[in-house]
Amino acid sequence: MIAANFDYESPRTLSEALELLSSREDAKILAGGHSLLPAMKLRLATPALLVDISRISGLNYIREVGDRVSIGAMTTHAEVVSSDVLQRSSPLLPQAASQIGDTQVRNCGTIGGSLAQAHPAADYPAVVLALDAEIVAVGRGGERPIKALDFFTGMFSTALRADEIITEVRVPNTEGQRVAYKKHHHPASGFAVVGVAVRLKASAERIDTVAVGITGVSHNAYRAVAVEDSLRGRPLGAIAAAAARVANDVDVLGDYYASAEYRKHLAAVLTRRALEQAAGVRK
Amino acid sequence: MSDFSIIGKRTAMVDAAGKTTGAGKYTDDLTLPGMLIGKILHSPFPHARIKRIDSSRARALEGVVAIVTGKDAPNPYGILPVGHDEHALALDKVRYVGDNVACVAAISEAIAENALELIDVEYEVLPAYFDPEESMKAETDLIHENKLHNIEKDYHHVFGDPEKAFGEADYVAEGRFIANEVTHAAMEPHSTLAAFEIDSHTGKPGRLTVWSSTQVPYYLQHKLSLVLDMPMAQIRVIKPLVGGGFGGKSEVIPLEIIAAIAARAAKAPVKITYTREEVFWAHRGRPRSIIDLKTAVKKDGAITAVKARVVQDGGAYCSYGVVTILYSGALLGALYDIPNIQYDGYRVLTNKPACGAMRGHGTVNVRFAFESQLDEIAARLNLDPAEIRRRNLLKPPCVTINGLRVQSYGLPECIQQVVERSRWKQRKGQLGKASGLGIACSHYVSGAANSIIRSDMPHSTVNIKIDRDGGVVVYTGASEIGQGSDTMTAQIAAETLGCSLGRVKVVAADTDLTPIDIGSYSSRVTFMAGNATLRAAEQVKKQIASAAARKMNCAPEDVVFREDKVFRKGDTQGQSPTPLEPTQAAVSVSGRVEGQILRGSLQQKRKEEGQKYFLTFEEAVVAAIDFHGALTGTGSYAPPPEARGGKHKGAGVGPSPAYSYSAQVAEVSVDEDTGEVTVHKVWAAHDCGRALNPVSVEGQIIGSVWMGMGQALEEEMVWKDGMLMNPGLLEYRSPSSTESPEVEPIIVESVDPEGPFGAKECSEGSLAATIPAIANAIYDAVGIRLHESPFTPERVLAALRARKGAKPINLTEGVDPTAPRRFREHGGALWFRGKGPERHPLDPARREAADAGGDD
Ligand SMILES: Cc1cc2nc3c(=O)[nH]c(=O)nc-3n(C[C@H](O)[C@H](O)[C@H](O)COP(=O)(O)OP(=O)(O)OC[C@H]3O[C@@H](n4cnc5c(N)ncnc54)[C@H](O)[C@@H]3O)c2cc1C
Repeated sequence: MIAANFDYESPRTLSEALELLSSREDAKILAGGHSLLPAMKLRLATPALLVDISRISGLNYIREVGDRVSIGAMTTHAEVVSSDVLQRSSPLLPQAASQIGDTQVRNCGTIGGSLAQAHPAADYPAVVLALDAEIVAVGRGGERPIKALDFFTGMFSTALRADEIITEVRVPNTEGQRVAYKKHHHPASGFAVVGVAVRLKASAERIDTVAVGITGVSHNAYRAVAVEDSLRGRPLGAIAAAAARVANDVDVLGDYYASAEYRKHLAAVLTRRALEQAAGVRK
Repeated sequence: MSDFSIIGKRTAMVDAAGKTTGAGKYTDDLTLPGMLIGKILHSPFPHARIKRIDSSRARALEGVVAIVTGKDAPNPYGILPVGHDEHALALDKVRYVGDNVACVAAISEAIAENALELIDVEYEVLPAYFDPEESMKAETDLIHENKLHNIEKDYHHVFGDPEKAFGEADYVAEGRFIANEVTHAAMEPHSTLAAFEIDSHTGKPGRLTVWSSTQVPYYLQHKLSLVLDMPMAQIRVIKPLVGGGFGGKSEVIPLEIIAAIAARAAKAPVKITYTREEVFWAHRGRPRSIIDLKTAVKKDGAITAVKARVVQDGGAYCSYGVVTILYSGALLGALYDIPNIQYDGYRVLTNKPACGAMRGHGTVNVRFAFESQLDEIAARLNLDPAEIRRRNLLKPPCVTINGLRVQSYGLPECIQQVVERSRWKQRKGQLGKASGLGIACSHYVSGAANSIIRSDMPHSTVNIKIDRDGGVVVYTGASEIGQGSDTMTAQIAAETLGCSLGRVKVVAADTDLTPIDIGSYSSRVTFMAGNATLRAAEQVKKQIASAAARKMNCAPEDVVFREDKVFRKGDTQGQSPTPLEPTQAAVSVSGRVEGQILRGSLQQKRKEEGQKYFLTFEEAVVAAIDFHGALTGTGSYAPPPEARGGKHKGAGVGPSPAYSYSAQVAEVSVDEDTGEVTVHKVWAAHDCGRALNPVSVEGQIIGSVWMGMGQALEEEMVWKDGMLMNPGLLEYRSPSSTESPEVEPIIVESVDPEGPFGAKECSEGSLAATIPAIANAIYDAVGIRLHESPFTPERVLAALRARKGAKPINLTEGVDPTAPRRFREHGGALWFRGKGPERHPLDPARREAADAGGDD
């Protein structure tokens, strides 16, 4: 199908973009277009105005700021994968990004677009949750950092307001901690049937810090609090039993590829594997 | 090996450059002045009566030129003469979600699409049938009034004395197998451009030209004539480049006729290209099948009888269904020596898109069942799975109990090759935890010995023209669809005429220019069109030889053609003799300078020169033209009567002039926690008679393995109340090079006595072995017998759990994939779902979805 008619603007500055965004009721930001354009072609989305933010300079960067790494919203998945800074300081993000879709998708899709889309099976949401990242939204009223934990509110829905643009994602430097991302790809779309992002600080005897972000399992990505609670302060041997609780408190989705029951099982297996990998007891 | 100069050499496809640079033209690349775009309105209901169609609002839209409905071309058609049950646009009833209701031709795609939304159709919704075994019990609301119990066709064959054999068996294996539905997923969506000549005085439409993505231009011409009520001679069908067919373009697809109906009404050319979703609805893929299989064996593993009951969920129209259900029974024979066979086949109508022919037509699902069961028998009898297959080999030349003639038979060598190369004996059982090897065999026809339109006409005819320029033009109706038909044609012509490949130009698949060929399906082209090309080339060669013989002062039989030269026999062996000076001069001049005058004077000069010891190909051609006039030759092929099978009802399907043979070993590992299966390597040996172009044969083997692997592991059309839940390539995955395991293609050449240079088929037969080879490897790895394909992680895990007696995974409807009883209706994803036509308000599923909070 072809998209319904729409207007198109490509402003050069953020303030122009913000103005355009609030100028029309159904205006939408266009970033990499790899979620929005397919939806428009299926007429699942019919925006009247597209505000293309790819020509705004200063939205595409990866830089270290103190003990954090700041990533511009227009940074593509491929740029995340190949960033030396991230590889060194916060490798969970590139690990997950390398598993997104295929080369074309990674070359076009952006981190800001992926987070704003909040696809229930997208990879980044699990990662930003596990990293306790901050998502910076800018509206006409100014800048508003949103905690990842508060960001995902439901299927395809976020704490972002209609007139706000994501400009930056801030992730902590995770040196001294161990991270892992495990994913079961849908064979056709490449999206996560289940994706598990883990951040861990532990010795053989004791787990000090643990964060587990889950995607693909429920309406939106979430932190597996039950798993974390039953691991904090416990030895590595507790992983298997803890991982089994990964989807206890959520509404698990089923589809023709993976029933709710299978998906729940898969989530437990991948959570265990991700934790074990981060803990260094599995390669 | 052989002393061929072109046959058997690794040859680049003659049409590769255009395809790889993008310069090549597919149907959708074509435009004509004044061309309109057609869009089709599809049914949102699986089964409904059309009460009224009001297109007035759509007609009023600016830019809309014509709107057509079933009334504009009411004649029924269908690919099989016994199955004329389709209308290009529905007349009174729609029979599946996606059925064709109306078509808008407009000046742009966007306008046409908008107009669709303005067509008001009033339906009376009828009860619908989705499960074939339920459908078979139907008494009322039949899908087609003349098909009682919604059974399209059933066949009941008994060969030998199966009852007795079962009574005397040492062991009988029995099981139900289910193969879910798969589709071709060719890269190029279907596309058709239709244009009438319009008489400028009367405004009446005259001759029709149709460009279409088809495997069967001649059948298309025939059906267009039927539906449009026009003489065939007034219709020209041209097949541009085609981006893959796999059977999905081997019959007339509704858009091909709809485009012509719309062009006639609009008095302007109309092009329609399906969206991917429409390709899924057009379908004609492999039907989901229920196979109840019973095999009787003796202690030594000798198969004494087979009983198969096959139910195919054929969808709403006959399509190739009658042929499919017959192939499923007939191809129980001709692989192994089976003395007693009972077959009960039911082709059942349901309210889903029609199934048709797909790569390995009719044999694939039954082969999955058979080869899996044979593996079970081997395990039971403590026999090596390769060995049990060896113990059941045919002894050709022979005619099987169900009337199939087998002459060349490379199966023993195929088995030998894969066993050796996979180091089966050393490695089987030694691969470590959750890894395993599995073996399976398969076979396929090299074209059907009986055409679907019963007549005495040749199945292929080829013309060759050679003129003074020395170019060889081959006119063939054979349809290049990416499989290498044009290259094969050029190779055979060049080899026969002893000229270089570059001299040959293939003009193919244009019904005005090329003689009739019944099309690219059932792997018939190399065998049949190849033989016709060979015969046409030999006819021309004879004419050249007689002229050359006069020049060289020898007998025509002693003239030898090779590498663009024509020699006297004996002069050719090993090195070419030193050419004579004047000859060489003549070539370079005539090569450089165009024009008859110079050529003529050179000719005169040559005549004066007297006897020659050899001629260039061009000289020989010119000599022959001077002698005969223009050189033309015709060759045709019809299968010999001995190959046409038995006399029983339905005996026409299955017989082939030759069968290909395959054996495969697959190496897999299984993740016992998640149920994921990884195929690491497939050794695939295929007996193609002779590999005319080895690189092409290898490509076909590898492609077959991928397609088989897709059906084995992930491809499945998922249905819910007749709605396809995964009508797109983001939901339905066919494996590609990116997820290919290592495939080692092994060519086995049995040199068939009737094939062109001994060639048989190579593009379908391998596929059927892949699925059971993987199933058997999974058993070897983790000890589970999967009876339902595809072997998705969820099914594998469910089977693993069941085996360990662990808490079972509750698959939708509690199906056990090791003992499935019937097809499942699926939930369906919340977010992977294709948009599809909207559900009607009465549909309970819609209400459920609404209750559940919307289904976006
Ligand atoms: C074939 C395919 C496979 C894919 N596989 C995966 C996968 O495996 N894993 C995965 O995670 N994703 C996958 N994706 C999705 C892909 O990562 C998308 O690129 C991503 O989800 C959206 O990013 P985008 O830049 O393309 O955004 P767009 O499509 O341009 O926009 C998406 C939405 O976000 C809004 N938006 C974009 N940028 C901003 C911003 N800065 N501020 C506010 N709103 C904004 C837009 O208005 C729109 O609503 C796949 C996509 C395709 C087509």
